[in-house]
Amino acid sequence: MNWVALKMLTGDRTKYLGIVFGVSFAALLMAQQSAIFCGLMRNTTSQVRDIQGADVWVMDRNVQFVDDTKPLSENALYRVRGVDGVKWAVRLYKGLARARLGDGNFQQVILIGVDDATLVGAPAVEQGKLLSGSLEDLRRPDAVIMDEFGWRYLFGAEPFAPGRTLEMNDKRAVIVGLAKCNPTFQTFPILYCTYSQAVKYVPQERKTLTFVLAKAADGVSPEELCGRIEAQTRTLRALTNDQFFWSTIGYYLKRTGIPINFGITVMLGFIVGCAIAGQTFYLFTVENLKQFGSLKAMGVSNWRIVRMVMLQALVVGVIGFGLGLGGAALFGYVFERLVTNAPPAFHFPWQVVVLTASAVFVIITVSAAVSLKRVLFLEPAVVFR
Amino acid sequence: MTATAAPPAISLRGITKEFGAGDTKTLALADVSLELPYGELVLLVGPSGCGKTTLISVVAGLLDATRGEVDVLGQNLTRMRGGRKVRFRGDNIGFVFQQYNLLPALTAAENAAVPLLINGWPRARAVAKASELLTAVGLGAKLKSYPNQLSGGQQQRVAIARALVHEPRLLVCDEPTAALDAASGRTVMDLIRKVAVQPDRAVIVVTHDSRVYDFGDRIVSMADGRVESVSQGGRLTANS
Amino acid sequence: MFTRYALPALAVVAFSFAMLQMSKAQQTPPPVSPPVEPAKSPFGKQVSGAGIVEPETENIAVGTHLPGVVKTVHVRAGDRISAGAPLFELDDRALAAELSVRAAARESAAAQVSKQEALPRREELPPLEAKVAEAKANLDDKLALFDRTKRENDSGVGARELFDTRRMAVDVAKAQLRGAEAALELARAGAWKYDLALARAAVAQADAQHAQTRTELDRLRVAAPRVHKPGWTTPDTTPGAELVEFRVLQVNVRPGEFVSAAPNQPIVVLGTVGRLHVRVDIDENDIGRFKPGTKGTAAPRGDPATKYDLTFVRVEPYVIPKKSLTGGNTERVDTRVLQVIYSLDRADAPLFVGQQMDVALEAAP
Repeated sequence: MNWVALKMLTGDRTKYLGIVFGVSFAALLMAQQSAIFCGLMRNTTSQVRDIQGADVWVMDRNVQFVDDTKPLSENALYRVRGVDGVKWAVRLYKGLARARLGDGNFQQVILIGVDDATLVGAPAVEQGKLLSGSLEDLRRPDAVIMDEFGWRYLFGAEPFAPGRTLEMNDKRAVIVGLAKCNPTFQTFPILYCTYSQAVKYVPQERKTLTFVLAKAADGVSPEELCGRIEAQTRTLRALTNDQFFWSTIGYYLKRTGIPINFGITVMLGFIVGCAIAGQTFYLFTVENLKQFGSLKAMGVSNWRIVRMVMLQALVVGVIGFGLGLGGAALFGYVFERLVTNAPPAFHFPWQVVVLTASAVFVIITVSAAVSLKRVLFLEPAVVFR
Repeated sequence: MTATAAPPAISLRGITKEFGAGDTKTLALADVSLELPYGELVLLVGPSGCGKTTLISVVAGLLDATRGEVDVLGQNLTRMRGGRKVRFRGDNIGFVFQQYNLLPALTAAENAAVPLLINGWPRARAVAKASELLTAVGLGAKLKSYPNQLSGGQQQRVAIARALVHEPRLLVCDEPTAALDAASGRTVMDLIRKVAVQPDRAVIVVTHDSRVYDFGDRIVSMADGRVESVSQGGRLTANS
Repeated sequence: MFTRYALPALAVVAFSFAMLQMSKAQQTPPPVSPPVEPAKSPFGKQVSGAGIVEPETENIAVGTHLPGVVKTVHVRAGDRISAGAPLFELDDRALAAELSVRAAARESAAAQVSKQEALPRREELPPLEAKVAEAKANLDDKLALFDRTKRENDSGVGARELFDTRRMAVDVAKAQLRGAEAALELARAGAWKYDLALARAAVAQADAQHAQTRTELDRLRVAAPRVHKPGWTTPDTTPGAELVEFRVLQVNVRPGEFVSAAPNQPIVVLGTVGRLHVRVDIDENDIGRFKPGTKGTAAPRGDPATKYDLTFVRVEPYVIPKKSLTGGNTERVDTRVLQVIYSLDRADAPLFVGQQMDVALEAAP
């Protein structure tokens, strides 16, 4: 009988396509908006993900998210190193600097100063993040590595060549390399340099140390290490990569209207999907009411009918979901390739798939339930009228 | 000839059916008692609203009588529970509807195979058996046609094949000729006569089409929810 | 056909594409190890600090007493010199000239003394002796005349008046003789002793002034200080054995440059050759966790793999404002630090004075 149900479904092409379109449109809208939302939120943490190699970020107690920099005393580094369970700890500068370009314009840049000796936090060579140049170039005087988007943003389509200079805080900076960085929320170019360089590139402050990056010793979990660092230093806050990632996202979720806006769009997608798919499916079922009646008269049980209708709903749900999700993924794929001078905000995690799938499931269940109500309360005797 | 000693295919005793309640209560069947044998084509006739449809609905197990006892094919439908009744219908009763009620998405052969599919037959076997039957009713060339490609008479023949494909012991036809022209109507009734009427099968045809009275072995005429008369039909019995 | 097969197939393709994209997004990048492995703590519990390499004697920034223009520089950075060796000289022309003046003054004073000592002058005596002889002769003459007159008078021959005249002439002659004899005596006595003492005092003064100028000249030549080796006890017979040997760490001056005697102006920086010390800054927050006498290790910046063992030397008892060692263009004071001196166990460590080290010290249990 499942076969009969499927034949019934595909028999009416217009309605079938209508339902599939409704579901896939809803899935597309929800998946795509969720993915953009995830992308945007994820972009806020790009530096947390870019700066790799350590387990724990140590910062001022009052830091709320990665761009909220509250400088520490230089000695914080040594206080962290003194904590039991720290394999190593290095300094990191992260802040905004104002760069003066060759044409005299100014541009805000994200400045990341990595530890001079170890270069912990520099673009990850193992992951192919360094597109041009070598990390050792950072040790050259006035050397900085710029990110790919930053280069395109500042210099357009011009192919990368080392040697372009910028000026920051009246000091010269020579771009010696090109790095691939995760897209940022602020969309400013990113400059990597050594810590001692970075300190010179910003107007003088009494304290300059932004973060201490620490690695847990073997056998010590990062979470445990965070606890130890906070307990021993008392004035510092320590977060693992994941914790810092989520606390940054949490900040943006709480303090900006972004989640509400995207939430509304996703809701709209859901409602529109429900409306289109639900209504079409309902109409489809009502139209087939007579057929269902005959089937009931011919000995098809209600339970069997439920299964048939659910199967129909499931099929349109799955097909619509697949198409919509694929459409959303295609959107992201094209978007990331077409828009090259701005960092794309599109992230497609499994949670989006699950969310969309759940929403589609709700849509088809609601549609099927509404339709089933008519079918189940249908007296088989109507076939004789 | 019907053996008088054999139990009747259908036995109704004091069937009363009321619809609604209170002021809007209408009486559809009033104390109907009737016995119908196997092997006959019974015509149920009468004007619109006389209760024919209600009566066959009760006989086919689609409606429960308000009062009275219904025995169909030796089973007491009155005391039968919902699930068993559905299965009983699927196993034992064939239906032919006024509007054919074929599934437009299925071919003629597939439509005819639906009762077998309901009873859990594999699709290929079911369709093969249905095709045989369709060939027998003269639609061998139309097996792969969809209902909207068939004429009314052809559709009704498909419907008859569908009603008989699972070899039911009771065939219920609701105005099978009402939507057809005279010639097609005759063909259809001929077919019912020839194919459907079997010694171990009861056939009830509801009609108000006087043109087909000739085909009945027995004519039950109804008015106002009561059986007016039961008479022998204008035709000889099938095996004569 | 389209609805029954193509659409589900399309959906499958679309879904697979979505899954592909999703798995791409889901990929966790391989873990990243630091380009250079940072220094690890060798102790379970530790106190960390920034250290700076210094010589055993600390850095000696040699200054000058006098301002002036540099004439010669005797050393170059990196030279090994012994204590007392000349480092540089200032222009000394003015003082050299003054020294000649002083020398002349001394000569002059000495001549005065010689002159005094040479009196009486031999040539002066004969005239005086002649004068005495002449006065004697005159007296004899007068005496003879008087005697004759006296005899005449006694005889009453002569006139009384003549007699008186002759007697007075004798007195005059006697006085003249005494005068001549006194003059001769004076000449014969030579220089007066007080005059001589005065002249001698003038010589001493001139001598002293000469020596003063010479010292001033010496002060224009700056030499390495004569620093004794730390912990020197057993006297050695060889001269200079108790003194340290220096390495010239920095020379901030070249001939022709002006140097002043202002403080905090290292003209030449010296450090002893031999064991090196590391001066470790311990944050005031960590002082409680530091126990003097514990072991430590140090790794130079940029080479965390190379570890040097440290031995405790002493604690600077005064907690000072921390100087930022991050290479900023000015010093930043942000916190106070306790400075602890450790010595490097390896004598031949390939380290340079002034190099920064990441130091880990065993913490108090």
